[in-house]
Amino acid sequence: MTPKWIELVTGSLDDKKRYRRYKARIAALPESYRTAVEGVVRYLMYTGPGDGDQLMTMFDDLADLFEQSAADGVPVHAIVGDDPVAFVDTFKQNYGQGGWLGKEQRRLTDAIARAEGQDAGGGAAAGGGAAAGGGAADDDVRRRGGGADTGNETDAGDGSGVSR
Amino acid sequence: MGKQMTEMLKGVLEGIVLAALSRRPAYGYEITAWLRDLGFTDIAEGTIYALLIRVEQRGLVDVQKVASEKGPPRKVYSLNALGRTNLDEFWGTWSFLVERLEQLHEGGMER
Repeated sequence: MTPKWIELVTGSLDDKKRYRRYKARIAALPESYRTAVEGVVRYLMYTGPGDGDQLMTMFDDLADLFEQSAADGVPVHAIVGDDPVAFVDTFKQNYGQGGWLGKEQRRLTDAIARAEGQDAGGGAAAGGGAAAGGGAADDDVRRRGGGADTGNETDAGDGSGVSR
Repeated sequence: MGKQMTEMLKGVLEGIVLAALSRRPAYGYEITAWLRDLGFTDIAEGTIYALLIRVEQRGLVDVQKVASEKGPPRKVYSLNALGRTNLDEFWGTWSFLVERLEQLHEGGMER
């Protein structure tokens, strides 16, 4: 039995076992499917999720897809379609995004929220409106003009002329 | 299938998958085959699979693993109550879009 502390040095052993199991599944695929998976995984390494657990779940799902398709006799082209990039982009959406990308998207949303605050002049009304939106703050920022907080919206809209 | 068709389908494919599952429970390959029969010949198997994972994560379908003679166990997806509500919303949005676009189509660009 390996002592628990060793995982601090090596990373989780469960993850390692899971990864090795996944590698074995890929190695057992017919050659063309293996080539395709390796291509997909390479692209995902650069653009895929930042979280290790999500990454492993993604690999397992990918292995499921290619194993099942190989068993059903679905050719590689029919799995990934005419545009492999479009397929992988749809696929990877299920597993969160790269840490840096999520951070930059939050930054962008914040910057626009700040800009809208500046546009509202006094800023007190717009700021108050956003805060009063409560819970789903992110959504409120994105769906400005969706008409959640009535009074303030129309005032701000008339003044700025940016949103239309 | 042209580029335009592919782009337009992107927004509605999840609804199409839910609609397919409202007929009866199915696994990924069956759904793709059904879509091919409907004339959507170029939809990638993997894209349908990705959408099935998405609707599973969002709790719109129930999943049962069924052993298969060849390959790993298949996941059979069935639409649950939440999925039905979601599908109703999808058709509502769809009707709205069709109605507005039809107005635009018939009225041309006049205002």
